[in-house]
Amino acid sequence: MMRKLNTDLLFFFFLLLTGAYALYSFHSYMDYYEMVILVGSILGFSWLGKFWQVFKKYFLSVFSISLLGVYLYQGNLANAETNFILKYFLSSQSSIMWMSAFFPLALFTYWFYLFNQQTFYGKLASNFTWIATIMGMVGLMVRWFESYLIGVDVGHIPVSNLYEVFVLFCLITALMYLYYEQKLNTMKMGGFVLIVINAAVAFLLWYTFSKGADEIQPLVPALQSYWMKIHVPANFIGYGAFAMAAMISIAYLIKDKGYMVDLLPAKHILDNMTYQAIAIGFIFFTIATILGAIWAAEAWGGYWSWDPKETWALIVWLNYAAWLHLRLIKGLRGSLLAWWSVIGLVITTFCFLGVNLFLSGLHSYGEL
Amino acid sequence: MRFAISMLSFVALASIIGTVLKQNESYESYIIKFGQFWFDFFEVLGLYNVYQASWFIIILIFLIASTSLCIYRNAPQVMRDIQEFNVKIKEESLRNMKYSSQINMPKNALDNCQQVLIDNGFKVKLTNKDSAVLLSAKKGQFQKMGYFFTHISIIIISIGGLMDGNLVFKAQEHFGVKSIETEDLPLSKIPKTSWLESTNFSYRANMLLKEGEIQSVAFLPRKDGYLVQDLPFTVALKDFEIKHYSSGQPKSFESDLLIKDKETGETVRKIISVNKPLTYKGITLYQSDFQDGGSKLKINLWDLQMKSSSEEMKSEVFKINPITHSGKKLLFEFEDFRLFNILDIEMNGEKVSKNVGPNFTYKVRNESGQAVEYQNFQFPMRVNGAQYFMSGMRVSQQEDFRYLKIPADANNSLQGFMIFKNLLFSSVKTNEAIDRIIKDTSENSTNDPQAFKLSLEKVIQMFISGGYSAVAQSIEQNIPAEKQTEIANTYIKIIFLIANNLVELYKQDNPDDDLYEIDDLQKFIQDALNTLSDRFFYGHDFYLELVDFEHIQASGLQLTKAPGQFWVYLGSLFLVLGIFCMIYIQEIRLWIFKKNNSNKATLAMSTNREHLDFKTIFEDLLEKLNNKV
Ligand code: HEM
Repeated sequence: MMRKLNTDLLFFFFLLLTGAYALYSFHSYMDYYEMVILVGSILGFSWLGKFWQVFKKYFLSVFSISLLGVYLYQGNLANAETNFILKYFLSSQSSIMWMSAFFPLALFTYWFYLFNQQTFYGKLASNFTWIATIMGMVGLMVRWFESYLIGVDVGHIPVSNLYEVFVLFCLITALMYLYYEQKLNTMKMGGFVLIVINAAVAFLLWYTFSKGADEIQPLVPALQSYWMKIHVPANFIGYGAFAMAAMISIAYLIKDKGYMVDLLPAKHILDNMTYQAIAIGFIFFTIATILGAIWAAEAWGGYWSWDPKETWALIVWLNYAAWLHLRLIKGLRGSLLAWWSVIGLVITTFCFLGVNLFLSGLHSYGEL
Repeated sequence: MRFAISMLSFVALASIIGTVLKQNESYESYIIKFGQFWFDFFEVLGLYNVYQASWFIIILIFLIASTSLCIYRNAPQVMRDIQEFNVKIKEESLRNMKYSSQINMPKNALDNCQQVLIDNGFKVKLTNKDSAVLLSAKKGQFQKMGYFFTHISIIIISIGGLMDGNLVFKAQEHFGVKSIETEDLPLSKIPKTSWLESTNFSYRANMLLKEGEIQSVAFLPRKDGYLVQDLPFTVALKDFEIKHYSSGQPKSFESDLLIKDKETGETVRKIISVNKPLTYKGITLYQSDFQDGGSKLKINLWDLQMKSSSEEMKSEVFKINPITHSGKKLLFEFEDFRLFNILDIEMNGEKVSKNVGPNFTYKVRNESGQAVEYQNFQFPMRVNGAQYFMSGMRVSQQEDFRYLKIPADANNSLQGFMIFKNLLFSSVKTNEAIDRIIKDTSENSTNDPQAFKLSLEKVIQMFISGGYSAVAQSIEQNIPAEKQTEIANTYIKIIFLIANNLVELYKQDNPDDDLYEIDDLQKFIQDALNTLSDRFFYGHDFYLELVDFEHIQASGLQLTKAPGQFWVYLGSLFLVLGIFCMIYIQEIRLWIFKKNNSNKATLAMSTNREHLDFKTIFEDLLEKLNNKV
């Protein structure tokens, strides 16, 4: 007990010191709100580190590797081509490519494990997922830094376009899965959850190579706001959670139909995992939508303009609200809800991608 | 409940329609898209503005009503549940509960149990029954508050939304007090029924302000027309500025505004930009877009069809200049001017975004009303290694621009091309060039010089009167098929040869002129010939060269009065609170029933929402209690 408390405190002090250093060195570039966000992040990450012990390791790995990347740049973007480590590992593009390599690897290993049932392979798959998640996050962090190397006024948090949020989606979904994997001590769901993540990776690769989407663009005026730092990640915690819920529901349905009965965890565990994921996702999606409204009131002149993305966010929200009602109020369980959460992912995907593809509106920052 | 859910489903469905059908477009574009019949049908259903259609608002009102009713009916029960300890429960039913157990309970152990429960966050109450004691405990009753918070939030948010909708105007329109103006009238002519007073409760209106202009009203686009919104202050635009990143993309749009209160005369000056609006007297002013505000243009008018020099023309964006050209009237309608134009350009094999400088857009309309739209750039652009003046042309808005490329001379000006054009159109000059060619070739040729000269003249004449396509047509008609390619090549060579000699002669006559000191003069001449050939597809005879300009901008503002905003935010706060309560608080009830004469007691625990970890919670607690007794 004592020991545990100590590492939590240490982690907190570490964050506090880093935050203080950041504030001290860069306060002239920050506005009031950004300082609040910084303090909020320190508290948030400390809490997360206490709530989920492994997160501390994850944070420190990403932190130190990203720092190495930043250091290797020596303030010069051209080093991405000349420095060996940057070129093949730590420049944002390379590191996101590593993520894109390890996620498929993890997927195959998880399925191998599922049929072969030797814990070793499960652990291996899990480690591959960790590596992918670390490399992806390092990619985003280094990209953040790279954007400042392009120009101080160009620099911005990498959540401003479809390419960046796709990486974010992969990371958040994977992290959530890893949390449940550890908490419920089941590596059997990896093969399912990693399917959505790999679909996103496939899209990402297509988007990178056919459209050159990985290029860093300066922010259009509407996006220059501290709100972006909160609104977008909150949305993607929602999306990630909904995606995970849907994949677990698929496993549930497979088991329900009498397939893979011995391979998958018990039905009530699957059912409960789905519920927890949707509950988390719902909270974050609600908050993200409200924050979006507050931002919209500042950027577009009205908190609600019935812009297609707003409207579809509402539809997604209503859908999961209904889901939670049925489960919590009516006490419904089982395959109906599982089907529903799969359909929920279809609706969510339309909100995420369909709106960008088929409908135009104010929210067209992620146009295809 | 069921009613509320069907209402919510309706809202969802209607919302989907609203996203699929583009909202608030002009009525003409809907007619084009759907045809008159469907246009009328959709219009009756209010599908062009779903979210303000009467039926949508009625659904919202029903939603408020039914949710209120729901709260009214359920609230007392919920409040009672929260307060109540459930002391009437029988030992029988405790034994039958899913989580129930017999525990040892010596004499005073119940007090210890009470303490354990309190330490674990329970509220406890002891009731004496006949010859028995019942300990009732509960925890997490705030979960039930979730019901209140979420449902009240739906009401508050909907009311806030309705406050900012256009209910008042709808009523006024219904009773004929107000009406939408559909014609484009000057302010003073707009009837009072289309004016909304400055006391109007809520609105989202637009205002377009030129630099230096002052205005005191804004406009609300409605259906196929608009309304005028009177404001309690005047707004003056002192300056409008677009800032750019070094790559040329826009970085910020900023309007320097001076606001003057109509009543008190108080003034406020502030620079607003996207994401940084200004609120004055409950009205928020946003930077929403920008346009040209009537920039002054100085233009050289070049006639591409004949030998001539340019004429100067002065105009402004949004102005129309009429001219008479070979007995017919033409209107030059100037529509837009842009100082910055970021285009993706190939540079050293790489695509880069680059600012290519100012351009302007205009239409040339003939007597029968048909117009061709043009877009010309002031400066030449680099395409495939050479510099060209680009002029886009199209006949309808649906098309992309097709470009006429005019090669730039050594000074990056149009001069070289225009002189070349005049040389080619001058029969004296072409004859000189032809003579020069004949002299050069006759020495080692057996051809009849006279016949050769005639054929040269014929070819160049064909080219002048109809470009390469006229030449091709003539070949098709007069030459047997198997020789067509060969002849075509010869003709092209001839045209080029003459053109080349024209330029050589010009250089001889004007040794000080360095217009044609171009690296690849041959390519320039080829390009110039192409341009002259393409001029037959250019729609009109004129090329307009932008010589100079005075940039005047106009800023598009949005003015919002939204008293419902506060309520929407407040409702949202309740919503989040409510969801937290509903999902993350678990209500637990626990009872210990002990007969006075027994050393055992019955313990049972229940929850209204059983999650996976409830069993563990039960077992943990049981262990703690057992340890204490
Ligand atoms: C009520 C208002 C809003 C709602 C309901 C809303 C909803 C959403 C949703 C659901 C997403 C998820 C990502 C996606 O589907 O692409 C998203 C992303 C995003 N939102 Fe909003 N939003 C609102 C307001 C705003 C405003 C005012 C801005 C900026 C001016 C904004 C900027 C963004 C950006 C940059 C992303 C992520 C990038 C992307 O997907 O391309 N949002 N929003």
